[in-house]
Amino acid sequence: MIVVRAPLRLSFVGGGTDQPGFYKRAPGRVVSTTIDKFVYLVINRTPLIKKVSARYSASETVNHPSELQHTRIRAALTDLGIESGIEVGSFASLPAKTGLGSSSSFTVALLKGLHAFKGSKLDSREVAEAASRLEMELIQEPIGKQDQYAAAFGGFNMFQFNADNSVEVTSMFLSYKNHLGLEQHLLLFFTGLTRAASSVLTEQREKLDAKFETYRTMADSVSEFAERLAAADFKGLGGMLHDGWQKKKSLASGVSSSVIDRLYDAGMNAGAWGGKVAGAGGGGCVMFLASPETHTTIRASVAKVAHENNLQDFQEIPVHFSKSGAEILYNGDWAVHLG
Amino acid sequence: MQHYIKEYLEREIEMLRNLPHEEIAKAIDVLHACYERDGRIYIFGNGGSLAIATHWVSDFNKTVFSHNLKHSARRFQAIRVPTTESELTAWANDVGYDMVFAGPLQNYLQDSDVVVAISSSGNSENIIKAVELAKSRKIPVIGLSGFDGGKLNELSDIKVLVSSSQGEYELVEGAHMVIFHLMTKYFKDYLDHASKKQ
Repeated sequence: MIVVRAPLRLSFVGGGTDQPGFYKRAPGRVVSTTIDKFVYLVINRTPLIKKVSARYSASETVNHPSELQHTRIRAALTDLGIESGIEVGSFASLPAKTGLGSSSSFTVALLKGLHAFKGSKLDSREVAEAASRLEMELIQEPIGKQDQYAAAFGGFNMFQFNADNSVEVTSMFLSYKNHLGLEQHLLLFFTGLTRAASSVLTEQREKLDAKFETYRTMADSVSEFAERLAAADFKGLGGMLHDGWQKKKSLASGVSSSVIDRLYDAGMNAGAWGGKVAGAGGGGCVMFLASPETHTTIRASVAKVAHENNLQDFQEIPVHFSKSGAEILYNGDWAVHLG
Repeated sequence: MQHYIKEYLEREIEMLRNLPHEEIAKAIDVLHACYERDGRIYIFGNGGSLAIATHWVSDFNKTVFSHNLKHSARRFQAIRVPTTESELTAWANDVGYDMVFAGPLQNYLQDSDVVVAISSSGNSENIIKAVELAKSRKIPVIGLSGFDGGKLNELSDIKVLVSSSQGEYELVEGAHMVIFHLMTKYFKDYLDHASKKQ
């Protein structure tokens, strides 16, 4: 049995510039951090059961991986030539579609685990590339590749996506004071609204040409973000998140909605310096940066709006940043491949 | 005499000034991630370097948490290899001195672990064998070397090289101890700071 996990992530600036439509024309740049919430997968070898099982919110047992309903597991097993004698089960700290990159965390953990199952080990870059290939080429999701890299590498990073498909990964090396300081100023709320990133991203992709310059300023804001972070200027970072969010809303109609706008405005009116919706938008999580003294007021104001709009799954998500990327926690299987 | 002392210390200061800050930062991040996933840190070296490894294990497992012994349920799990002198002599006598680290390490190594190897020359055969074992299993290797770094610096994922002339063992080992104490102090300060915030 193999137990593998990959972290979820919070992206701060530059989201959207990780799509090929942008980075083929100008370097895409994103700053994100992984958090202490994970997707876990268990991969079990069943040599005496000539079937393929996948257990997630549903449970499937089939004779051949091509019969699976689960798109990512089907694509990965088929691509790797694993035809039977395997069970794959998934577990997560948070629901799907929260805007925290969980579907790519799933793919990264899956590929890290399946390669270990086959007796080979992928390093961070190899698993990020494999996950990007699966999602963007094999199953043709209209997504970028920041999430695969964030989940594979772990920690606070700046990613640059180049036209030749190469990706530069620069660790931000936050001192513990800035690391804990940023955490202390950050509030994250799950709106209770879920959406698949692909619906919003498809619209963004169609409008990319018209909005090219907006994307470019978003990519360029990454170095200012890094400087303000190094200087522990949390108020300035809040302002940057706010500007980024205003730009992002202009990219496609589905990025925000009237309910999301009301939640966001409630936080801002209660004293937040700035914030954004995590991920592609359209639902998921709203994040704020604010002075810790205002957190109680912001919590109450945002919760009130959520209640008025009948968002039953709304809740605050306490969050700490993590240094961990995709990792094999347990591999009772490795000796299978020796000698 | 005073002139000799002054020259030695100046040389040590010069080495400390040229330490690779980014590689040390990477080492801290790798140790932090290992802590988060509850992995283990295996550390080893020959002679004085083995003493440094033992010293650091005690600091990292206990001193880091000295202000937070009750607060921190999760601790670092740093383990010096081999863990007993009996194992060391058994491997040396029965198999060969080149296996005193790789031999015992193979019993323990899991995918969630980290390896820290110390060798001033960077070329001790027993160190390289253990590092090659870790590499073959894709375990992250933090290598602390001296002189020109030797093979250890080539193989390591995190290359903490104290650049010096060949044979400057005392100066290199002195700098190695400073780096280990820096890492200990970093996590001690981090945990102190984190516990005050809660």
